[in-house]
Amino acid sequence: MIKRAVFCSFCLNTMDEIIKFFSNIGKLKGFPRRGWVIRDIKNPESIAEHTFRVAIMAWVLAVQKKYKLNLEKIIKMALIHDICEVYSGDTTPYDSILPKNKKKRQELLKTWPRFSEEEKKILAERKYKKEKDGLEKLIKDLPPKLKQEIMNLWLDYEKGLSPEGKFFRHADRIETFLQASEYWRDHKNFPVKPFWIQARELHDDPVLLEFIEQIDKEFHKNKKPKN
Amino acid sequence: MDGKTFYITKKKLQELKKEYEELLDIERKKALGQEAPKILESEDLNPEFVSFQEDIGFLRSRIDEFKNILEHHDLIRIPAKDKQGVVGLGAKVKIDVDGQKDEFVIVGTLEANPALGKISNESPVGKALLGHKVGDEIVVSSPIKITYKIKSIKYEIS
Repeated sequence: MIKRAVFCSFCLNTMDEIIKFFSNIGKLKGFPRRGWVIRDIKNPESIAEHTFRVAIMAWVLAVQKKYKLNLEKIIKMALIHDICEVYSGDTTPYDSILPKNKKKRQELLKTWPRFSEEEKKILAERKYKKEKDGLEKLIKDLPPKLKQEIMNLWLDYEKGLSPEGKFFRHADRIETFLQASEYWRDHKNFPVKPFWIQARELHDDPVLLEFIEQIDKEFHKNKKPKN
Repeated sequence: MDGKTFYITKKKLQELKKEYEELLDIERKKALGQEAPKILESEDLNPEFVSFQEDIGFLRSRIDEFKNILEHHDLIRIPAKDKQGVVGLGAKVKIDVDGQKDEFVIVGTLEANPALGKISNESPVGKALLGHKVGDEIVVSSPIKITYKIKSIKYEIS
Protein backbone atom coordinates (compact mmCIF):
# COMPACT_ATOMS: atom_id res chain seq x y z
CA MET A 1 0.00 0.00 0.00
CA ILE A 2 2.73 2.42 0.95
CA LYS A 3 4.64 1.64 -2.22
CA ARG A 4 1.56 2.24 -4.31
CA ALA A 5 0.92 5.59 -2.61
CA VAL A 6 4.46 6.75 -3.30
CA PHE A 7 4.49 5.64 -6.92
CA CYS A 8 1.02 7.01 -7.62
CA SER A 9 2.30 10.54 -7.15
CA PHE A 10 4.38 10.07 -10.31
CA CYS A 11 3.12 8.49 -13.50
CA LEU A 12 5.01 5.54 -14.99
CA ASN A 13 6.76 7.66 -17.60
CA THR A 14 7.93 9.92 -14.82
CA MET A 15 9.37 6.94 -12.94
CA ASP A 16 11.53 6.20 -15.97
CA GLU A 17 12.84 9.75 -15.86
CA ILE A 18 13.47 9.52 -12.14
CA ILE A 19 15.45 6.28 -12.58
CA LYS A 20 17.45 7.97 -15.31
CA PHE A 21 18.11 10.89 -12.95
CA PHE A 22 19.28 8.52 -10.18
CA SER A 23 21.60 6.75 -12.64
CA ASN A 24 23.04 10.06 -13.78
CA ILE A 25 23.77 11.41 -10.31
CA GLY A 26 25.26 7.99 -9.44
CA LYS A 27 28.06 8.81 -11.89
CA LEU A 28 29.36 11.34 -9.35
CA LYS A 29 30.55 8.39 -7.24
CA GLY A 30 33.22 7.85 -9.86
CA PHE A 31 34.06 11.47 -10.73
CA PRO A 32 37.26 12.58 -8.97
CA ARG A 33 37.40 16.17 -7.75
CA ARG A 34 39.53 18.16 -10.13
CA GLY A 35 41.26 20.16 -7.42
CA TRP A 36 42.95 16.98 -6.20
CA VAL A 37 43.63 15.60 -9.68
CA ILE A 38 45.67 18.68 -10.66
CA ARG A 39 47.63 18.26 -7.42
CA ASP A 40 48.50 14.67 -8.40
CA ILE A 41 46.66 12.99 -5.52
CA LYS A 42 46.33 9.26 -6.20
CA ASN A 43 42.78 7.88 -5.89
CA PRO A 44 41.37 11.26 -4.92
CA GLU A 45 38.05 11.94 -3.24
CA SER A 46 35.07 11.81 -5.62
CA ILE A 47 32.38 14.48 -5.97
CA ALA A 48 29.90 12.13 -4.25
CA GLU A 49 32.31 11.59 -1.35
CA HIS A 50 32.64 15.35 -0.90
CA THR A 51 28.84 15.63 -0.97
CA PHE A 52 28.46 12.94 1.71
CA ARG A 53 30.75 14.65 4.20
CA VAL A 54 29.66 18.22 3.50
CA ALA A 55 26.01 17.24 4.10
CA ILE A 56 26.90 15.93 7.56
CA MET A 57 29.28 18.80 8.31
CA ALA A 58 26.74 21.45 7.29
CA TRP A 59 24.07 19.82 9.46
CA VAL A 60 26.31 19.48 12.52
CA LEU A 61 27.85 22.95 12.19
CA ALA A 62 24.51 24.65 11.46
CA VAL A 63 23.23 23.42 14.82
CA GLN A 64 26.03 25.42 16.52
CA LYS A 65 24.67 28.70 15.12
CA LYS A 66 23.08 31.19 17.55
CA TYR A 67 20.06 31.67 15.30
CA LYS A 68 18.06 28.80 13.88
CA LEU A 69 18.67 27.61 10.36
CA ASN A 70 16.38 25.31 8.40
CA LEU A 71 18.29 22.01 8.58
CA GLU A 72 16.14 20.19 6.05
CA LYS A 73 16.87 22.94 3.53
CA ILE A 74 20.60 22.88 4.29
CA ILE A 75 20.88 19.09 3.97
CA LYS A 76 18.90 19.04 0.72
CA MET A 77 21.05 21.90 -0.57
CA ALA A 78 24.17 19.94 0.31
CA LEU A 79 22.90 16.87 -1.52
CA ILE A 80 22.14 18.71 -4.75
CA HIS A 81 24.80 21.45 -4.80
CA ASP A 82 27.22 19.62 -7.10
CA ILE A 83 24.89 17.40 -9.15
CA CYS A 84 25.20 19.82 -12.07
CA GLU A 85 28.76 18.48 -12.43
CA VAL A 86 27.39 15.31 -14.05
CA TYR A 87 27.29 17.47 -17.20
CA SER A 88 29.31 20.60 -16.40
CA GLY A 89 32.29 18.78 -14.91
CA ASP A 90 34.26 20.04 -11.93
CA THR A 91 36.24 23.28 -12.19
CA THR A 92 38.94 24.96 -10.14
CA PRO A 93 40.05 28.62 -9.94
CA TYR A 94 43.33 27.57 -11.61
CA ASP A 95 41.83 26.12 -14.79
CA SER A 96 42.25 29.17 -17.05
CA ILE A 97 45.95 29.60 -16.19
CA LEU A 98 47.10 26.04 -15.49
CA PRO A 99 50.40 25.25 -17.29
CA LYS A 100 50.81 21.85 -18.96
CA ASN A 101 54.38 21.62 -17.73
CA LYS A 102 54.34 19.69 -14.43
CA LYS A 103 57.01 21.76 -12.66
CA LYS A 104 55.35 25.06 -13.62
CA ARG A 105 51.99 23.67 -12.56
CA GLN A 106 53.33 22.62 -9.16
CA GLU A 107 54.83 26.08 -8.73
CA LEU A 108 51.51 27.77 -9.57
CA LEU A 109 49.62 25.54 -7.16
CA LYS A 110 51.72 26.82 -4.27
CA THR A 111 49.95 30.19 -4.57
CA TRP A 112 46.33 31.35 -4.58
CA PRO A 113 45.52 32.56 -8.13
CA ARG A 114 44.90 36.32 -8.41
CA PHE A 115 42.88 37.92 -11.20
CA SER A 116 41.85 41.43 -12.22
CA GLU A 117 38.35 42.67 -11.41
CA GLU A 118 37.28 42.05 -15.01
CA GLU A 119 38.77 38.54 -15.11
CA LYS A 120 37.04 37.65 -11.85
CA LYS A 121 33.69 38.67 -13.35
CA ILE A 122 34.24 36.71 -16.56
CA LEU A 123 35.39 33.55 -14.75
CA ALA A 124 32.49 33.66 -12.28
CA GLU A 125 29.91 34.18 -15.06
CA ARG A 126 31.40 31.41 -17.18
CA LYS A 127 31.33 28.93 -14.29
CA TYR A 128 27.80 29.91 -13.30
CA LYS A 129 26.45 29.50 -16.83
CA LYS A 130 28.17 26.17 -17.39
CA GLU A 131 26.85 24.75 -14.13
CA LYS A 132 23.32 26.12 -14.55
CA ASP A 133 23.15 24.66 -18.05
CA GLY A 134 24.39 21.33 -16.64
CA LEU A 135 21.75 21.34 -13.92
CA GLU A 136 18.93 22.24 -16.33
CA LYS A 137 19.94 19.36 -18.60
CA LEU A 138 20.11 16.95 -15.67
CA ILE A 139 16.69 17.78 -14.18
CA LYS A 140 14.73 18.73 -17.30
CA ASP A 141 12.46 15.66 -17.29
CA LEU A 142 11.78 15.49 -13.56
CA PRO A 143 8.29 16.27 -12.21
CA PRO A 144 7.83 20.08 -12.19
CA LYS A 145 7.67 20.49 -8.40
CA LEU A 146 10.80 18.45 -7.79
CA LYS A 147 12.59 20.19 -10.62
CA GLN A 148 11.69 23.56 -9.20
CA GLU A 149 12.74 22.65 -5.67
CA ILE A 150 16.15 21.48 -6.90
CA MET A 151 16.62 24.61 -9.02
CA ASN A 152 15.57 26.90 -6.13
CA LEU A 153 17.94 25.18 -3.73
CA TRP A 154 20.80 25.41 -6.20
CA LEU A 155 20.17 29.11 -6.93
CA ASP A 156 19.94 29.79 -3.20
CA TYR A 157 23.34 28.09 -2.69
CA GLU A 158 24.97 29.60 -5.74
CA LYS A 159 23.90 33.17 -4.95
CA GLY A 160 23.72 32.89 -1.16
CA LEU A 161 20.13 34.18 -1.19
CA SER A 162 18.95 32.99 2.22
CA PRO A 163 20.81 32.50 5.53
CA GLU A 164 20.88 28.77 4.71
CA GLY A 165 22.29 29.41 1.23
CA LYS A 166 24.93 31.73 2.63
CA PHE A 167 25.89 29.33 5.40
CA PHE A 168 26.08 26.31 3.14
CA ARG A 169 28.15 28.16 0.55
CA HIS A 170 30.80 28.61 3.23
CA ALA A 171 30.38 25.12 4.69
CA ASP A 172 31.06 23.70 1.21
CA ARG A 173 34.46 25.45 1.12
CA ILE A 174 35.18 24.33 4.68
CA GLU A 175 34.80 20.66 3.70
CA THR A 176 37.28 21.20 0.88
CA PHE A 177 39.56 22.99 3.34
CA LEU A 178 39.38 20.05 5.77
CA GLN A 179 40.13 17.60 2.94
CA ALA A 180 43.12 19.73 1.89
CA SER A 181 44.38 19.71 5.48
CA GLU A 182 44.08 15.90 5.54
CA TYR A 183 45.95 15.57 2.24
CA TRP A 184 48.65 17.90 3.62
CA ARG A 185 48.96 15.68 6.72
CA ASP A 186 49.11 12.46 4.69
CA HIS A 187 51.05 13.51 1.57
CA LYS A 188 54.52 14.98 1.46
CA ASN A 189 54.70 18.35 -0.34
CA PHE A 190 50.95 18.89 -0.61
CA PRO A 191 50.59 22.67 -1.25
CA VAL A 192 48.22 23.71 1.56
CA LYS A 193 49.11 27.42 1.70
CA PRO A 194 46.49 28.58 -0.88
CA PHE A 195 43.77 26.92 1.20
CA TRP A 196 44.82 28.93 4.27
CA ILE A 197 44.95 32.15 2.25
CA GLN A 198 41.48 31.45 0.92
CA ALA A 199 40.17 30.58 4.38
CA ARG A 200 41.35 33.94 5.76
CA GLU A 201 39.85 35.98 2.91
CA LEU A 202 36.64 34.08 2.32
CA HIS A 203 35.00 33.12 5.58
CA ASP A 204 33.12 35.43 7.91
CA ASP A 205 30.76 33.09 9.71
CA PRO A 206 31.70 32.94 13.42
CA VAL A 207 30.96 29.20 13.75
CA LEU A 208 33.03 28.33 10.69
CA LEU A 209 35.87 30.68 11.71
CA GLU A 210 35.99 28.88 15.05
CA PHE A 211 36.06 25.56 13.21
CA ILE A 212 39.05 26.77 11.16
CA GLU A 213 40.88 27.67 14.39
CA GLN A 214 40.24 24.15 15.66
CA ILE A 215 41.65 22.68 12.45
CA ASP A 216 44.75 24.82 12.94
CA LYS A 217 45.20 23.49 16.48
CA GLU A 218 44.42 19.90 15.58
CA PHE A 219 46.57 19.57 12.46
CA HIS A 220 49.59 21.62 13.51
CA LYS A 221 50.43 20.13 16.88
CA ASN A 222 53.65 18.58 15.58
CA LYS A 223 54.18 20.04 12.15
CA LYS A 224 53.55 23.53 10.69
CA PRO A 225 52.92 24.20 7.00
CA LYS A 226 55.66 26.07 5.14
CA ASN A 227 55.29 29.75 4.22
CA MET B 1 19.01 36.71 13.21
CA ASP B 2 20.31 37.67 16.71
CA GLY B 3 19.92 41.45 16.24
CA LYS B 4 22.81 41.68 13.79
CA THR B 5 23.29 44.93 11.85
CA PHE B 6 23.63 44.51 8.09
CA TYR B 7 26.01 47.00 6.45
CA ILE B 8 24.83 47.52 2.90
CA THR B 9 25.33 49.91 -0.01
CA LYS B 10 22.51 52.19 -1.15
CA LYS B 11 22.30 50.27 -4.42
CA LYS B 12 21.86 46.97 -2.61
CA LEU B 13 19.26 48.50 -0.28
CA GLN B 14 17.22 49.71 -3.26
CA GLU B 15 17.40 46.26 -4.87
CA LEU B 16 16.29 44.58 -1.65
CA LYS B 17 13.39 47.00 -1.13
CA LYS B 18 12.19 46.45 -4.67
CA GLU B 19 12.38 42.66 -4.43
CA TYR B 20 10.69 42.78 -1.02
CA GLU B 21 7.74 44.78 -2.40
CA GLU B 22 7.42 42.47 -5.40
CA LEU B 23 7.42 39.37 -3.24
CA LEU B 24 4.82 40.81 -0.87
CA ASP B 25 2.68 41.57 -3.91
CA ILE B 26 3.03 38.00 -5.17
CA GLU B 27 2.13 36.64 -1.75
CA ARG B 28 -0.96 38.90 -1.50
CA LYS B 29 -2.15 37.88 -4.95
CA LYS B 30 -1.58 34.22 -4.22
CA ALA B 31 -3.59 34.49 -1.00
CA LEU B 32 -6.47 35.95 -3.06
CA GLY B 33 -6.17 33.17 -5.61
CA GLN B 34 -5.06 35.58 -8.34
CA GLU B 35 -2.33 34.92 -10.83
CA ALA B 36 1.06 36.08 -9.62
CA PRO B 37 2.55 39.00 -11.56
CA LYS B 38 5.25 38.16 -14.03
CA ILE B 39 8.28 39.66 -12.33
CA LEU B 40 10.34 38.09 -15.09
CA GLU B 41 9.34 41.03 -17.24
CA SER B 42 11.00 43.51 -14.89
CA GLU B 43 14.34 44.57 -16.33
CA ASP B 44 16.02 45.30 -13.03
CA LEU B 45 15.22 42.09 -11.27
CA ASN B 46 17.18 38.93 -11.32
CA PRO B 47 15.13 36.81 -13.74
CA GLU B 48 15.88 33.63 -11.83
CA PHE B 49 14.05 35.02 -8.90
CA VAL B 50 10.84 34.26 -10.71
CA SER B 51 11.14 30.60 -9.77
CA PHE B 52 10.43 31.58 -6.16
CA GLN B 53 6.96 32.80 -6.98
CA GLU B 54 5.61 29.29 -7.39
CA ASP B 55 6.99 28.04 -4.13
CA ILE B 56 5.25 29.41 -1.03
CA GLY B 57 7.82 28.05 1.43
CA PHE B 58 10.71 29.74 -0.32
CA LEU B 59 8.63 32.86 -0.86
CA ARG B 60 7.79 33.28 2.85
CA SER B 61 11.31 32.61 4.09
CA ARG B 62 12.70 35.08 1.57
CA ILE B 63 10.16 37.74 2.67
CA ASP B 64 11.11 37.20 6.33
CA GLU B 65 14.78 37.46 5.43
CA PHE B 66 14.22 40.77 3.57
CA LYS B 67 12.15 42.15 6.44
CA ASN B 68 14.90 41.36 8.93
CA ILE B 69 17.55 43.05 6.77
CA LEU B 70 15.42 46.13 6.13
CA GLU B 71 14.77 46.50 9.86
CA HIS B 72 18.41 46.05 10.88
CA HIS B 73 20.54 47.72 8.25
CA ASP B 74 23.08 50.52 8.23
CA LEU B 75 24.07 52.24 4.97
CA ILE B 76 27.68 52.18 3.85
CA ARG B 77 28.59 55.80 3.09
CA ILE B 78 31.62 57.49 1.56
CA PRO B 79 33.63 58.85 4.49
CA ALA B 80 34.62 62.52 4.86
CA LYS B 81 37.59 63.54 2.66
CA ASP B 82 40.06 63.55 5.54
CA LYS B 83 39.15 59.94 6.31
CA GLN B 84 39.33 58.57 2.78
CA GLY B 85 42.97 57.62 3.18
CA VAL B 86 41.98 54.90 5.61
CA VAL B 87 40.43 51.52 4.77
CA GLY B 88 36.81 51.39 5.84
CA LEU B 89 33.59 49.81 4.63
CA GLY B 90 33.10 50.45 0.93
CA ALA B 91 36.81 51.02 0.24
CA LYS B 92 38.35 49.59 -2.92
CA VAL B 93 41.82 48.52 -1.87
CA LYS B 94 44.66 47.61 -4.22
CA ILE B 95 47.03 45.27 -2.49
CA ASP B 96 50.15 43.28 -2.96
CA VAL B 97 49.84 39.82 -1.42
CA ASP B 98 53.21 38.13 -1.08
CA GLY B 99 54.25 39.71 -4.40
CA GLN B 100 50.94 39.14 -6.25
CA LYS B 101 48.60 42.00 -7.13
CA ASP B 102 44.92 41.93 -6.18
CA GLU B 103 42.05 44.27 -5.50
CA PHE B 104 39.38 43.98 -2.81
CA VAL B 105 36.26 45.94 -1.99
CA ILE B 106 35.45 45.79 1.71
CA VAL B 107 31.73 45.14 2.12
CA GLY B 108 29.28 43.91 4.73
CA THR B 109 28.64 40.19 5.07
CA LEU B 110 25.49 40.44 2.93
CA GLU B 111 27.31 41.66 -0.18
CA ALA B 112 30.50 39.65 0.28
CA ASN B 113 31.51 37.67 -2.77
CA PRO B 114 35.21 36.80 -2.67
CA ALA B 115 35.08 35.31 -6.18
CA LEU B 116 34.35 38.86 -7.37
CA GLY B 117 36.83 40.48 -4.97
CA LYS B 118 34.18 41.60 -2.45
CA ILE B 119 35.61 40.76 0.95
CA SER B 120 33.52 40.74 4.11
CA ASN B 121 34.47 43.18 6.87
CA GLU B 122 33.97 40.22 9.23
CA SER B 123 36.51 37.95 7.51
CA PRO B 124 39.99 37.79 9.10
CA VAL B 125 41.58 39.64 6.13
CA GLY B 126 38.75 42.20 5.84
CA LYS B 127 38.95 42.87 9.56
CA ALA B 128 42.75 43.17 9.47
CA LEU B 129 42.72 45.70 6.62
CA LEU B 130 40.22 48.05 8.29
CA GLY B 131 41.77 51.24 9.66
CA HIS B 132 45.01 50.95 7.66
CA LYS B 133 46.58 53.40 5.20
CA VAL B 134 48.49 53.21 1.90
CA GLY B 135 51.93 51.73 2.48
CA ASP B 136 50.91 49.75 5.56
CA GLU B 137 51.88 46.09 5.66
CA ILE B 138 49.45 43.82 7.42
CA VAL B 139 50.44 40.31 8.38
CA VAL B 140 47.70 37.73 8.71
CA SER B 141 49.14 34.62 10.28
CA SER B 142 48.17 31.30 11.85
CA PRO B 143 49.51 29.03 10.72
CA ILE B 144 50.99 30.56 7.54
CA LYS B 145 52.25 34.13 7.44
CA ILE B 146 50.60 36.13 4.63
CA THR B 147 51.60 39.78 4.08
CA TYR B 148 49.16 42.27 2.55
CA LYS B 149 50.70 45.58 1.47
CA ILE B 150 48.21 48.39 0.74
CA LYS B 151 48.98 50.11 -2.57
CA SER B 152 45.93 52.38 -2.93
CA ILE B 153 42.54 53.12 -1.38
CA LYS B 154 39.53 54.47 -3.26
CA TYR B 155 35.88 54.99 -2.41
CA GLU B 156 33.35 54.53 -5.24
CA ILE B 157 30.17 53.49 -3.45
CA SER B 158 26.99 53.41 -5.47
